[in-house]
Amino acid sequence: MELSLPKNLDRATTLRYLGAANWTPDENTETLLRTAESELRAACTPRGIWRELPADLPWLHDGGSDLARHLSGCDGVVLMAVTLGSGADALLRRLCLRDIALGAVADAAASVLMEGLCDDLEAQIRTQQQKQGRYMTGRYSPGYGDCPLAMQDELCLALDTVRGIGLCVTKEHLMTPRKSVTAILGTAEHPVTGARAGCAHCVLRETCAYRKRGTTCETG
Amino acid sequence: MKLAELFDRKRFILMDGAMGTQLNERGLKPGEKPELAAFSMPETLEAIHRDYARAGADVLFANTFGANPKKLAGTGYTTQQVIAESIACARRAAVETGALVALDIGPLGELLVPAGTLEFEEACSQFADMVRAGVEAGADLIVLETMTDLYELKAGILAAKENSNLPVLVSMSFESRGRTFTGCTVESFAATAAGLGVDGIGINCSLGPVEILPFAKRLCRCVPAGMPVFVKPNAGLPNPDGSYDITPEEFARDMREYLTTGVSMVGGCCGSNPEYIRLLKETFADKVPARKVPVRKSVLCTPVRCVEVNGITVVGERINPTGKKRLQQALREGDSAYPCAQAVAQAEAGTQVLDVNAGLPGIDEAEVLTHLVKELQGVTDLPLQLDSSNPDALARALRIYNGKPIVNSVNGEQAVLDSILPLCKKYGAAVVGLTLDEHGIPKTAGERFAIAERIVRAAESVGIPREDIYIDCLTLTASAQQEGAAQTLEALTRCKKELGVRTVLGVSNISFGLPCRGYMNSTFLTMAMQAGLDLAIINPNTPEMMGAVRAFRVLTSQDEKSADYIEAYAGVQVQTTQSAKTDTTAQVPVSGGQMSLFDAVRRGLKAEARQAAKQALEVTEPLTLVNETLIPALDAVGDGFEKGTIFLPQLLQSASAAQAAFELVKEAIAASGRQGESRGRIVLATVKGDVHDIGKNIVRVILENYGYDVLDLGRDVPPETVVQAVRETGAPLVGLSALMTTTVASMQATIEALHREGLPCKVMVGGAVLTPEYARQIGADFYARDAKASADIAKQIFS
Repeated sequence: MELSLPKNLDRATTLRYLGAANWTPDENTETLLRTAESELRAACTPRGIWRELPADLPWLHDGGSDLARHLSGCDGVVLMAVTLGSGADALLRRLCLRDIALGAVADAAASVLMEGLCDDLEAQIRTQQQKQGRYMTGRYSPGYGDCPLAMQDELCLALDTVRGIGLCVTKEHLMTPRKSVTAILGTAEHPVTGARAGCAHCVLRETCAYRKRGTTCETG
Repeated sequence: MKLAELFDRKRFILMDGAMGTQLNERGLKPGEKPELAAFSMPETLEAIHRDYARAGADVLFANTFGANPKKLAGTGYTTQQVIAESIACARRAAVETGALVALDIGPLGELLVPAGTLEFEEACSQFADMVRAGVEAGADLIVLETMTDLYELKAGILAAKENSNLPVLVSMSFESRGRTFTGCTVESFAATAAGLGVDGIGINCSLGPVEILPFAKRLCRCVPAGMPVFVKPNAGLPNPDGSYDITPEEFARDMREYLTTGVSMVGGCCGSNPEYIRLLKETFADKVPARKVPVRKSVLCTPVRCVEVNGITVVGERINPTGKKRLQQALREGDSAYPCAQAVAQAEAGTQVLDVNAGLPGIDEAEVLTHLVKELQGVTDLPLQLDSSNPDALARALRIYNGKPIVNSVNGEQAVLDSILPLCKKYGAAVVGLTLDEHGIPKTAGERFAIAERIVRAAESVGIPREDIYIDCLTLTASAQQEGAAQTLEALTRCKKELGVRTVLGVSNISFGLPCRGYMNSTFLTMAMQAGLDLAIINPNTPEMMGAVRAFRVLTSQDEKSADYIEAYAGVQVQTTQSAKTDTTAQVPVSGGQMSLFDAVRRGLKAEARQAAKQALEVTEPLTLVNETLIPALDAVGDGFEKGTIFLPQLLQSASAAQAAFELVKEAIAASGRQGESRGRIVLATVKGDVHDIGKNIVRVILENYGYDVLDLGRDVPPETVVQAVRETGAPLVGLSALMTTTVASMQATIEALHREGLPCKVMVGGAVLTPEYARQIGADFYARDAKASADIAKQIFS
């Protein structure tokens, strides 16, 4: 289905993705952010798809222990996939040639818009679940913790993302269009919180630049 | 029924309905592969087909939609097995009514380069496997359906036509905005598929009958009169849970609207069942399809942009190495970033079609042209004019072109016509015919007109329609043959009026050898436009040429209410100055005082940097400017970045400003004819399997700013390509990037390949998941934390 981009671009997060957290941008950078946002709004065709399925899908068993912890106590899962569309990728390729600064800012801004889309869709699904008296965990994506990236293939197949939103998976299990996200959320009759892999389970835990600074990628 | 009935349009042809929906309803379990139904539930599959046949379907689509090698991987079944069994199953069900059985082919499930990583020829080969299996299994026809990527569809059509003699029907799936997921328009789909010679064209899936109707009408207007159009809509729009609401009765009622559209085959897609087809049969039985009234248009296209050549159309001439030293250098070095940037700049200046020429002595034209077309398709949505007379180069470039291009050119020479026109026909390209032959360029308009007539006859005899023929009456140099201009224009007008073809001219040739060429060019362009010129091959970056085009559009009422003219020029000041030696007409935005190059780069101001560099180069040697101004400015910014006083967005803006200045430096060096003293060669690549290349792109710009010759191999680059590039360039430094943990493995494989070949280069690596330790582990010599660090490493290597 068609989704709407967040009304405002979260500039603070965009700057954080660009390694400039807590920086008040100068006038030129403000202009870049504005241009990037308006070009992205013209080029993106945000689409999303989701399905609720039983939690005993055979392929979910191969998702590793972190995902299992995330889904523990859940009898259902919601699979979701969101993409900014291939127009966003084409725009980013073009912008990198026109102006590398604009290209990099737009790349970060696209990721931020993507996150916003996911948050919006998740909130929508959560409201529906609540209406049915059900509870839902947060999002968990293939590649987090010890969950293999290869699970992307099964997830996209189960959602038929190719037909539904034009989202494909490469041989190496990367998503194209590039600015896309898939996620698994657990659902249950009783309150569940899930367990995002978190730093302790992150593959980057030894090397993370945020951790070295005493923060996390979620707090900046 | 007989195959020929499909195409004679004497009655409506009924196609079947959904397969997936039916399999699910009749017992396919979640997680079970629908592609294997012929083995896992053959009776059910046959029953579904039989129910459709009994409901009145003339064509049954075998359950082969996803029988491609990728989707069957790990199932234990091959494409051949699945297709043979599935077609046999449909055939058994068809016996009773005599329905035809189609080999049904859906998308491969991977995006092609540049959107994804699947190579065009690999897609062709997967489709070819399916086509051969279908032929073997006795399919009556081939249907490529639910396609959303025009490029993938083209691969499928070529595979079908090159591996079978069966009729080929194709259909794409559009969203309610009238485009496919990848942005393809109805018109681009029609122009490309019809050009490739399919036998029928349609729209299926995604939308219901009501939503598809306007697109089907558009499709009927833009395909040839004899080509059948079909629709297979969903049972309405899907609900969020994947179910459909429209009843068979409502479906049949909505489909009634198609009786008068020119559509001649109907069926259903997701959510439909045999009852839908039965009612459809009732609605359409005994009815005769309406006659289609196509509008014959001259179009060129890429998937997302369909350019109708109706009135003056600008072809950008900048990607042609003739007389352009900087481009020559880029083509020789395999640097595609420069021509790609030229493409983006020309698009912004208002070009509608891009000329691409790779004819340069000493290079492999076929290889370079093909590569260039691939790269350009990634960064521009403008249709291309493939500018070559080399049949091999054209054949290869036409094959991988995504859309409908124009070939420049053939001429009146029989051998040329014989070798190039069939290529244009096979790949559905428009063609430019030059009015010259083995005897040279005739002097008079009459003689040129005679050659044009010959070219038109030859093109039509191979099946190229007149609207795809563009005649070039040839611009002669006014300084050498003054009376030539009038002959050219007279011939142009005659060709347009008497032959009904489109016309084209390379305009700039008129002024060769004369001073103040801009005056000559824009005046001749204006005269030619008045004489009926359609395609003007010009430099769109020259303000007076685009000015003439835009003004002409206003004065001939093509630009309604002067809207485009005003948009282009509101707030622009034209300054004209003439001095004894130079003539410059420039449009400058009103801006403040002068700024030094150093300051402009440090503050990240692109326009100011370009201006300052331009002035500095009048009095300073290019390399002095690089060493004494550009690099110190970049160093100052880099130091600030390291200290944390300057942030990445600022560093990048400085890089961008420096890049603008550096482009002028490179032009100055190329123009001087001296070999630029390179500070060193570096090969860059985002490794195999990885498509995240923003970091690598940043590194490229920074390294180029420091004066290094960077060969950027792009993303998803296999180890052997890196090895070959290092061997050919002798680059002492290689930079590799990877974003994902999974692709660091291919980074390691690339480093190992370089070592195995004994190449004496050093390797630096970068990317989100890398660390100094990790870099050492995989055998890299350097870990580049960020772009600045990569410049420091380069300094160390080349000091």
